[in-house]
This record gives sequence, structure tokens and C-alpha cells, in this order.
Amino acid sequence: MIEKEKLVKVVGADNVIYEPAVLGEYAKDMSFINTVRPDCVVKPRSTDDIVKLVKLSRETLTPLVPVSSGPPHFKGDTVPAAGGAVIVDLSDMKKIIRVDRLNRVAMFEPGVTFGELIPTVTKEKLRLNMPLMPRKTKSVTASMLEREPVVLPIYHWDLPDPLNCVEIIFGTGDMFRTGAAAGPGSLEEQWAAGGAQVTPAGPSSASWYRMIGGSQGTMGIVCWSSARCELLPRVEEPYFVGSKDLDKLMEMVHWLIRLRMPNECFILNRTNLATMMSKNYVKQYREIHDSLPPWILFYNLAGYDYYPEERVKVHEEDARGIAQRAQVEAARSAGRISAFEFLKAAQAPSAEPYWKLRASGACQDIAFITNLQNVEVLLDVMYDAASQAGYPVPYMGTYIQPLVQGANYHVEFNLFYDSNNRREVRLVRNLTNDVIDPLIANGAFFSRPYGETARYILNKDVATVEMLKRVKTIFDPDNVMNPGKLCF
Amino acid sequence: MALEDCRYDMETCRRCSICKFMPLEKVSSVDRINVCPSISRYEFHSYCGGGRMVMGTALLENRLDYTDKLLEVVYNCQMCGACDTSCKYSMDMEVMGPINEIRISCVENGRTNPALDKVINLLRKQGTMVPGTRSKRGDWVDGMNLKDCAKEKVDVVYHVGCLTSYNKDMWNQAKTIARLLQDAGVNFGIAGNNETCCGGRAYQMGYKEDFLNQARKNMDMIKKSGAKMLVTGCADGYQAFKVLYDQHGFKGDLEVLHITEYLARLIKESKLTPRKKVDTVVTYHDPCHLGRKGEPWIHWEGKEVIDEIRTLDPPREYRRGTYGVYEPPRDVLRSIPGLKLVEMDRIKEYAWCCGAGGGVNESNPEFSMWTAIERINEAELTGASAIATACPWCVKNFKEAVSRKGSNLKVYDIIELLEKAI
Amino acid sequence: MVLNKNFYKGLVDILGPEYVSDDPVITETYAYPIRQGIPVPARFEAITLPDSTEEVQAIVKLCNQYKVQYKASSTGWLYSDPAGPNCIKIDLRRMNRILEINEKSMYAVVEPYVIGAQLQAECMKRGLNCNLTGAGGNCSALPLAAHVNLGHLSQSGSYGERNQLALEWVTGDGEIVRLGSLGMLDEWFCGDGPGPSLRGIIRGDTTPLGGLGVYTKAAQKLFHWPGPTTFPMEGVSPKYTPAYIPDGFLVRYFSFKDLDAMIEAVLKIGESEIATELMCFNPAMMAANLATKNVEEEIEIYNRFNSEVLGPGFMTLIAANSRGDFEYKKKVLQTIVDETGGKPLEEVEDPENQGGYIWRYFRETGSIKETGRTLAPQAGMVGGTDAFPLMSYFIKSCSRVKERLIKEGALLDNGTAPFIQSTEHGHLAHGEVLAQASMRLKGDKLREMQRSINMGSNEISIKGHFGMPQHVWGDPLHDMYGPHTSNYHLWLRKVKKTFDPNGASESSTYITAKE
Repeated sequence: MIEKEKLVKVVGADNVIYEPAVLGEYAKDMSFINTVRPDCVVKPRSTDDIVKLVKLSRETLTPLVPVSSGPPHFKGDTVPAAGGAVIVDLSDMKKIIRVDRLNRVAMFEPGVTFGELIPTVTKEKLRLNMPLMPRKTKSVTASMLEREPVVLPIYHWDLPDPLNCVEIIFGTGDMFRTGAAAGPGSLEEQWAAGGAQVTPAGPSSASWYRMIGGSQGTMGIVCWSSARCELLPRVEEPYFVGSKDLDKLMEMVHWLIRLRMPNECFILNRTNLATMMSKNYVKQYREIHDSLPPWILFYNLAGYDYYPEERVKVHEEDARGIAQRAQVEAARSAGRISAFEFLKAAQAPSAEPYWKLRASGACQDIAFITNLQNVEVLLDVMYDAASQAGYPVPYMGTYIQPLVQGANYHVEFNLFYDSNNRREVRLVRNLTNDVIDPLIANGAFFSRPYGETARYILNKDVATVEMLKRVKTIFDPDNVMNPGKLCF
Repeated sequence: MALEDCRYDMETCRRCSICKFMPLEKVSSVDRINVCPSISRYEFHSYCGGGRMVMGTALLENRLDYTDKLLEVVYNCQMCGACDTSCKYSMDMEVMGPINEIRISCVENGRTNPALDKVINLLRKQGTMVPGTRSKRGDWVDGMNLKDCAKEKVDVVYHVGCLTSYNKDMWNQAKTIARLLQDAGVNFGIAGNNETCCGGRAYQMGYKEDFLNQARKNMDMIKKSGAKMLVTGCADGYQAFKVLYDQHGFKGDLEVLHITEYLARLIKESKLTPRKKVDTVVTYHDPCHLGRKGEPWIHWEGKEVIDEIRTLDPPREYRRGTYGVYEPPRDVLRSIPGLKLVEMDRIKEYAWCCGAGGGVNESNPEFSMWTAIERINEAELTGASAIATACPWCVKNFKEAVSRKGSNLKVYDIIELLEKAI
Repeated sequence: MVLNKNFYKGLVDILGPEYVSDDPVITETYAYPIRQGIPVPARFEAITLPDSTEEVQAIVKLCNQYKVQYKASSTGWLYSDPAGPNCIKIDLRRMNRILEINEKSMYAVVEPYVIGAQLQAECMKRGLNCNLTGAGGNCSALPLAAHVNLGHLSQSGSYGERNQLALEWVTGDGEIVRLGSLGMLDEWFCGDGPGPSLRGIIRGDTTPLGGLGVYTKAAQKLFHWPGPTTFPMEGVSPKYTPAYIPDGFLVRYFSFKDLDAMIEAVLKIGESEIATELMCFNPAMMAANLATKNVEEEIEIYNRFNSEVLGPGFMTLIAANSRGDFEYKKKVLQTIVDETGGKPLEEVEDPENQGGYIWRYFRETGSIKETGRTLAPQAGMVGGTDAFPLMSYFIKSCSRVKERLIKEGALLDNGTAPFIQSTEHGHLAHGEVLAQASMRLKGDKLREMQRSINMGSNEISIKGHFGMPQHVWGDPLHDMYGPHTSNYHLWLRKVKKTFDPNGASESSTYITAKE
């Protein structure tokens, strides 16, 4: 345990919190993870603060749990797994350090949310490749470190995109900068030379940022990150394609992305689309839902600086050809929703209340990556399992996001439920656990396992676990960083 | 030229591995892109063109000696020239030259392969590279009334070649060629029992002196005959007369044609018109010594200019396989009514070797057959019912391979197919 | 050095006598052929030719047991020689299979000895393309086995560090790890996870070059190919020409008055996403690509090109997906070129030459000519991968070193125009200054020039804050750069120590775990 005085000395008295009510908020989240109360919450202000905190934690072997986003949390990674933990809450570190139009990159601290970053990059005529309607309190850095799926698949060259570089304090207490940020030179010196902390790989023959992403804070604490930005389009023409046949939409998605046409591009079932567009769920959901086809592909064609209308026109024509071959038809609306209206919503964080909580107040996500050929099979597996468990399938949200320029697909099931209803809680929890094996057997790759099933999933790949443990010994030999998470 | 003269080329090798593969621009599949039988069979880099370049340098540096292993690597190479052609897509360096010089240096150092020594002894005694006696060399004539160019003046010498002369199964090719030349009114002659081996194979094997002796003998006879042209049906012989003799200063103005070149000319001039239908699907195998190695020799005399960069004055043109004999045999085949020509994956300048050359046929029949069977496999994939070629060594090797494999593929010399159509 | 006979017997037991040899004839011929200006390297003690991951693993474990080092390579063009004795070669030649091409998921899985030309040919049959490493289609198609794996397609097809999906890795101490979805599902579509991505260990901007175990199978992303299933090349080597230029294809070369104008053009082209390939070749490289006769012809073409260009320039290749797409991209290209004052090199777009250039750039057949033909010892300065403007300024600085050395007579004067390539539509870039030693230089003078170039490049990178160049390998350079670069070298040593505890992977081109 770290003495209070020492923590106060590092971050100041206002930033060390022992109030039980506050601690209670960090002791659990919306997942089914065990409740474990932290010892305290500290709010660092700078890299220097974080370095000192990690050093203190090593001296006393006190677990540190980094948190960047505001509540509610959903995945269990921000809840301590060990007693006596200190929550390192970075959500007040909100500096947007730099936005560089020439090099299409932004750099910011971990507390910066999408809502805060978007206006700043927009001023520079840039935009982020962001997840679909993240919650208002979601940290951009956290989202990238979690490898959350993003909505612009043709700009998603690699799974960790749009993450470029980070500055991290490893569990050893050492500060390290990844990618181009490492140097040579300080950040200021690099900027003076024309650098912009763009390249994520390296330095040298390791891509350190990859071992930090997906680690759920078990390697260290990130002090800032830089993210690749894309251009803000001058012209946008969004479309919906509705169908009862998902395979036709998948075919169209494959070709749209393969030919590098769309900006935003993903598939939702009507449950999700209706939920997202129902600010007043009770009043609006049913009507919107019933107006929609079972599956809706959304894509947006954009033009930039040079002849934007022509670019869009060319893509519209080519997309029409693709739609014809896939035997579907694009339209400007789906049911009661106009594509433009949805585009606006999809380019921003979720309006309040957070869309995943609108239906019943809670949501358990089951998400994995797979390839195009497995998507429909996995949907069947999930729906069968849900039916058997008693979860009404029409009530479940489904989101299919092409990733990595179409090399793989994020599939996400959103199980809406009432967390005050014990039966529903039990049902959803059991379903979440029970469906893992059949999903894996049919090609679901849980690239980002969370919560109480994480260890179970990881242990299916013994060799990887062995190697991850070796990695851990390098960056956090004393296992002070979020111990008990993943396989650590 | 000696091995030392090849040092510059050998040290120019970049180890890029392109000598193992067909020219990259022509790769159209994952399969059948290897062009070097030697490394394809034995896998170690030592066996490819690039490996042999390092071997040559190492011999010069006394880092290697003429051990049994060295000889094994040296002689397990058909001297097919594919590495040379592939390398020279990009590079200005000789590959076959140094490889041949390594062999010559082996012979000069008395480090030879006994099987090849046996062949050379026969050459020295009987003037042939295949079992046979001088007195039987002309037996194939068998009643045909042909001029003897060793005794009479002729315009054209028809050089039959060792294998065709002594292999009864091939006599028909020789007779057909003779008949075709007669029908075309060509004033040609054959040497019959006085014909002696071109020496090309001896050179490939590294027996340079024996080759030179053969060259002298042949050119003496040709000069005496007054012939200005030599025609042959053997690719080895073609390459020997056309290229090696020119390289070593023997050829002079002698025009050398492969029979397919001559026949293609006749067909083009409508002096020969195949009329009978030959309904068959055929794939054509480019013999190494007619194709890429059959490109005319380019004489160059000049000097190296070492400035910032090494240039040659005058600039040197390299033999890159571009001007080998590829189309005339195909033209002959295409002229045959009913015959459909389909191509294998490895053709023309990047054709896979039949396996017989470089002394491998004699020193390592198993490797020779392995190479030939690879080619037969490739031919079968085309759907052809026959493989045709323009060299008796290729024919022999393919026939053996087909028999060994139990394949239904027929093997023809182009002359045989043409004969059916006339 | 003679290998322990039990160790050698162990190798024979694993591979069979046919696929292992310690005969000096075999080991000697694996040596680097070039002798001029290069110290004589060590020789491998034995060469092994495994056929499978299991055989590789067995060899690696045996090496660990007997404390013999190993170095694996595919075609082994460069950086695959041992630094000292007691090292064997793992020649992956027999591991040459394409295991899968998944058209819908657009990935291919290869073993290390599949070469780029093979993979591309198979992809093209399926309407797909792959990024080939810039050194040429004769190099490994497995991104980790082909150095950095930046290539001509990188503008639209990125590079090895980014294109990697799942892979199979034999660690330095002989464990088989299957990264990503391969480990859990036996599928290749994802290389990251579960949890932190081990892809981070196995390479960065540069690869371990044989210093961290062996990569035995890997999947990589593929890209759309709008062209024919086989490119219609006719003719006989080296005079290949296409029978026609496929619809929607063009190649152009533009030069600019200065680097800033070129940078502007490149960034605009990147942002408009119109180029399939964009490579800032200089006139010397363009000339080398075209010449087929001899170096004198190449010099003639170079002189001609050089007299026509304004300054630095680039080749760009468009392969459009439809007629409308083609017209749009052409229009945008012309507009940008007009705005930035670009001047076309007309000989490139001459119908006589254009088709050949297009195919040679896609198939990357020119690299050997560009780097090896002029028969002089190579020297050069190599940047890293970073923002395009930064890389351009770095290379511009390096060009001054080249300029000075040309004036001193140490280098061939083939201009100081940089070579820079744009990656991911201008988000990233890589730059190099290629140079050839003057043939007049010998012995100490030659070594002095090489030192001068290397040190010049290091000084510029470090003092100029231009990022980590890709030539940084080996302990001395890591020790030089590390303190300026987040002490990465200390972490990299820990990686080496952790995943190759016995130091069995020969790591002269990686890093050692020295304290």
C-alpha cells in the first residue's frame, strides 16, 4: 500500500480520493466482473506524476489500475482484480497537444474524449477514424489502445489504427515513447525538424505500441498518444442498403471496400439502427424498428479537395454496379431514417443517453473478429445460443464492421438487459459465458478478451500465453500494472 | 580465356537468386518457375549459377580445392544456360562462361569424372561422343545417293551428329532431312564415315583441347568441301558450329543453320508445303543449345575503362538469349495442317532443360532422368498428346523419361511430324 | 571450426543426409560473392535445408542444446551471412508453398521461399495483388523474410509491418508460437491478440533479419488488382513488351523545380488517393529500369533523362477500377501536376516504353539493375519510415554528403536526386540516397568513403532528429542511437534475452543481449 502522504506529494491533495462513494464507482462496472474496491483514486496531471506513481507502486508492490474514460465502464478492465489497488484516473488530463494538418496527425492526453477532440481537428479540416457512436465520456486514447473497431474501413490499414505513437510509463517506471516519437530528439526537436510522431512502428526492430494496445493497462500507463487523422470531406453522399439477406450485403461490402470507395461503412441489424436513432427510446424505437428491413448496410461516399462531386459521382456509379451484381439497391433512407441524418449521428459520439443503455439500462457486448466467410455462420451460432438461453433474438443488437481494409470483420452482439432484473442478469451472464466455445469453434477470434471470460479465452492458446507472460516480465516485472487481468 | 579472366564476372554476382528462376516478367503461376535443374534437384545454393560464381572465386583464392564434392557439384549441371539468361535480364556479366571455365580448370588439373573420361576417350579414338565406331558412322545412309562432302565440292554440308548417326531409331530423321534437302534442290553433302563429332559436348564437359581438335578437323573438312553453309538437325551441333567455333575463331563466314531454320525458310518461300493433316496436339520443347545458347556469338575487342564507373570501350553487347532460335521450329509446326501447338509454362529463353546436356546424361543418368521427367510432367499439363523438339538428345531423353514414367505422351523430333505432313 | 559430431549427427537425424552438409564446397558457396571493398565474412559451419516448421524447430532446439548459432534466410540476397564461426545456416528453400489465398478476406499465406513474383502471379489470377518488397519480385513474399518489405505498391498497398496478419514463429529457443487467430482457431485472418499483440515483438520498422528465431509461415493482406489475370508480355528477355496496355493503366514520371514542390505534389496526390504506386525514383533509377543493352546504354539514357528533368521527381502508376475512376484520377493527377509545376518525362509515357515500365514496376524486376548493374560497390544512406516531408528533408540533408563525396571523387556522379517513396497515400514515407563508389577508390580510401557515408547518415539522423534509419542494426549502432531514442536498445536487448535466452539466433543484424 502507498502511503497517502506520498501520493499527495506527487499529485496534490485534491487529486487523491478516498471517499467510499467514489471508490464504489470504480469497484465495479457494467460487466459481470467481480467487485473489488480500490484503495484510493489518484488523478495525475502529467507524465512526471505518473512516473512517480509507478515508482511508488513498485516500491510497495501496490497494484495500479489506469483509467482514462469516464463512466460508465463496460468491460471490466478498469475494475481492480487485486485488493489494495490504486486507480490512476487520467480523465482529467485533457490537453490537446498538437494537431498537424500537413502530416494528418493529432496528439493528445488520455483524458481527451471524442467530443472534445473532434471540434479541434475539424478546425484543421481533419477528422478521426473513430468507433461507432462512442459514449460521451470515452477517451480517444483508451479507444485506440483497446483496438476498438472504427467506421472508416478503407482507412483502417492495420488493426491498431488510427493509433500512431504513445508515451508510456512502463511498469518498471521507465518512460518510453513508441514509433517515431521515440526520437532521436525531444518532441520539440522532432517538430522543428518536421517530424510529427506519425510512424507507429519501432523504434527499431520491435513495434512497441502493439504490445501496449490490447493490454488493458497491464504493461504501463499511457501519458499521451498521437492518432492518424484523415481529411474532412467536402462532399458526402451517404446511402443505406436494406435487405433481409445478409449475404448480399456482405458481398456488397466486400466490393465497396475492395475498390476503396466508401468512408463510413458498416452493417447493423434493425434493432441497433433503431436504438441508435431513438433518442427517446420509449416513444420512437418501435416505430423506427418496424419501418426497417432486418439488415441495413450504411456507407458514405465522399469527395475531398479535387473535384469532389466528380469523385462521388464516379463512386456512385461504381457502387450501383456493385449493388446490381449483389442484387440489392441503395437508397437515401432506410425506413424512417434518412442517410444524412444517420451520417451526422455516426460522425459524433452518441447522444445522451448512451445508445447502448437506451433499451434497458444495461448492455453486455459479445464481440470478436472473424473473416467474411464465417460471419453468417457465427450469427446463427449466436442466435441459436440466445434462443436456447431464452434471450429474445430480435431484442439483440448486431453490428458488423469491416476492418483492416476488408481483411477481417468485427462482429458485435449487444445484449440489452435490465441490470436490476436478476433473471435477466443471470441469463445474459450465462449466455455470455456459454456461447464462447461454440463461437470459437466456428471461427470467432476474441482478439480483445475482457472480463470474466478473458482468462478462459486466453488459455485456449497456451503458447501465446507463455509468450505474453514473457513480455510482461520485460515491461512489468513486479506485476504492479493491473494484475489479474488477461493472463497475468 | 581462363578462370582468372572470369574473376570480375564472378565477383559481380549479387546473390539475388534470379539465376534459379525464369525471368520474373514471365512468371504467371506459383508452379514451374524454376529454370535450373541442378538446384531444383539438389537444393543447396552451391548448385545454382550464383553458387558456382562463388565456387570459381573460391578456387582462385585457394579457399577451395578440387575435391570429390567439388567435382560432384561441378558435374551435376547440364550446362543448359538458363542461369545465364535469367541473370542477364538485369546484369552485365557472364555466368555460363565462368561455369564452363571451372570445368576446363578441373580437366586441366586432372580432376575429372571417370564417366566423362570414358566418353572423351571414345571421342579421341572414334570421333564420337556415343558408343560406335568411325566405320559405322555413315551406316544410316543405307542406299541413299548422297554427295560425300569429304570428297566433293558442295554448297552445304549436312552435319548429322553423333547420336543421330549411331542411333538406329533416329536414322529416319537423318534420311528425312537428306530427302528434304534433295527435294529442295540443295547442293549438299554429308561426310558419312568421315564425319566427326562437332566437339560441343566435349567443351561443355570441360575438355577444351579435345573440342579445339574437333573444331580444327571439322573446319578443315568444311573448307575443303567449299561449303558456305552448314545445316544440322542436332542442337548441340548447331551451337557448337554457330557459337563455339565462332567464339574460338574457327567459323569464319560459314553460315550455320539448324534444319528447322532452313525448313522454315523453305516453307515461308512456299518451296515446301506440308499438305497432309496431322491431327494432334503438340507442345514444343526448346532445346537449350538451339534456343538461348544458340544465339550468335558476339565478338568484342576493346578495353575496360575504369573511371568513376567501369565501362567498356567500345561498349559491349551481351548475349542474353534474345536471339536464339525460337520461332522457326514453331513456324514449322504451325505449318502442319491439323496440328495444334500448345505451349508449356517454361519456353523459349527460359525453357527447362531436357536433362541430357553437360555430360550429365553420362555421369549421372538418374539426375538426367529426373530432369527429363520434370519436363514430361510439364508437357502433360498442357493437355498435349505429344512433345516435339529439335534435338536428338532431347528426343532420346524424353523417350526414356516417358517410358520410365509410364506416360502416354508421344515424343517426336519435328522432322518426324513434318514428314507425316509431306 | 569443426562442428561437434553429435550435433552434426543430430542434424542428419532431423533432415536426412541429403539436406544437410558441412562440406567446405557447400558452405563456401554460400558466402557473399562480392569481394571488392568488403572484408571477408565468416562462413557457415553447415547448411541445413528443412522442409517444415517441425524440422525448423528441431534444428533450433538442437542449436540451443549444443550452443551453436543459426541464421535462417529465404533467398538470402543480403544480410544473411554469419558474423563469426559456430553458426549454421537454415536455408528455407524447401519451404516454398503458398498455403492459401483467400479471395474474400483478401489475404495470402506463404512459406518463406515463395518469391514475390509467384505470389503476385497467383493473386492476379484471382483479381488481387500483393505488395512485393522493393528489392524485387525475386525476394521472399513472406514480409518478415524480405527486410523492411516496403515496395512499389506501398502507396496503396502499405508494407510488411502493416500488412502482416497471422503468422507462425519458431522462437529463438525453439518454441512454436502461432500469433493472432492462428493460435486459437488455426485461421489466418488476424495477427493481433488475444490481448497485447505479439506482432510487436517480432518486428518493428525493421525486422530482426534472422536474429530472433525463424518465421515459417505468414499471412499478409492483399489488394485489388484491376488488371488482366496475366500481364500480356511478349518478346524475349530482356526485351519484353506488352501486347497492349490494359485499360485503366498508366505510368508517368514528373519532375519538379525543387524538393518542396515535389513534396507538395506527392502529398496532394496522396490525399486525393489516386495513385496505385508512387515512387520518387531519380533519373538514374529510371534509366536503369529502361536500359537492356549495357551500362553504356544506361548512361546514355540517364544523361538524356537528366537533361530533361527539372529536379527531383517521381514515377506514379495508376491502375483504375473503372473507366470513370480512370478519367477522374487522370484529371486530378494533371491538375496537381499543373498546380505544382511538374514536368513530364515524355519518354516514360511514350507508348513504346510505357507498357514495359508499368509491368516492370508492378513485377519489380528493375531493382537488381538499379542497384547491382553498374558493378560498383554500393554505398548509400537509408532513412526510416516516417512522415513524407520529414523523410524528404532527411534525404535532402544526406544528399549533401553525397554531393561532397562526389566532389572529392569518391562517388560516381549520378546526381544527388533523392529516392523517396510514399506509403499509405502519403501518410508515411521512406527515403534513401543511393550511391556507388567511384571505381577509382580502392582499399583504405574505399573503406574511408563507406565510413564517411555511414557516419554522415548517422550524424544527420541523430543531430537532425530525423528518426531511426533502417540501417541501424548490430550492437554498435544500437548503442549509438539508443540513448537518443528512448533507450529502446535496452528494451530490445531484453526482448532478445527473453525470446532467445541462449542467443542461438545469430544476431549481428539484430541485437545481442549483452549486459
